[in-house]
Amino acid sequence: MATRRIISSTNDPLDVDASGAPQAPGPSNIAPAVPASVLFKLLSFTFAMVTLPIGTYFFITNYVLVGNNTVAGALAAVMANVVLIAYIVMAYQDDQAEQKEDAEKEKKAI
Amino acid sequence: MDNQLTPSFAPFVGMSGIAFAMIFGCLGAAYGTAKSGIGISGVGTYRPDLIMKCLIPVVMSGILAVYALVISVLIASDIRPPPEKNYSLYNGIMHMAAGLSVGLPGLAAGYAIGIVGDVGVRAYMRQSRIFVGMVLILIFAEVLGLYGLIVALILNTRAVG
Repeated sequence: MATRRIISSTNDPLDVDASGAPQAPGPSNIAPAVPASVLFKLLSFTFAMVTLPIGTYFFITNYVLVGNNTVAGALAAVMANVVLIAYIVMAYQDDQAEQKEDAEKEKKAI
Repeated sequence: MDNQLTPSFAPFVGMSGIAFAMIFGCLGAAYGTAKSGIGISGVGTYRPDLIMKCLIPVVMSGILAVYALVISVLIASDIRPPPEKNYSLYNGIMHMAAGLSVGLPGLAAGYAIGIVGDVGVRAYMRQSRIFVGMVLILIFAEVLGLYGLIVALILNTRAVG
């Protein structure tokens, strides 16, 4: 009898979570915490940051101004800053949009 | 030909410029990324919605490494082995100066970006109006590295032969 299995038909403690409420039978929420649009933005900025400056440098030295490395180097640095400014503008616009949403929520609450 | 103007050790001096540019520039970029990354991780546990905006110091540190990379590629394209090109001592020392003048400002800018990024991002979590100020301070820190790049590019145009 020592190896008898505990058979409980209704109130299995494994089916109940910490709050005591039984878990919903439906599928659990497995959506990613970071939305796909944000992930796409980040990946595209990373890609631009890696390829744009060095790509500009080699494109200009090989095809546009052959032999003039200095202009190409300066343009590569400019391209890196263009990516940075684009990122700052995007972050600033996100900031503005969020502040608008907060203001509207406050209005509704009043 | 190995003479007083093109000694055999001249390429060594020039190559050291490439190494200085990459080593110091990436040291600065790494410090900036790591220090501001600590701050961003601290903010992200409380306000995950701010992470995208807080990543600006990391992007700026990345740009410092791009500056160093550009100068390294420029210098490397000027150095050829002796039968092809007689690399003068003048060019070697000039390339070393170019590498140092982009590398050490990169280190300084990365240090500034790291500290401002860490503290600024934490302050932004509590007071959202600090965002513009933080970005402005970060840009001024970033510009230090840009000055080094400009000087290095000007030095590089003096290359002869």
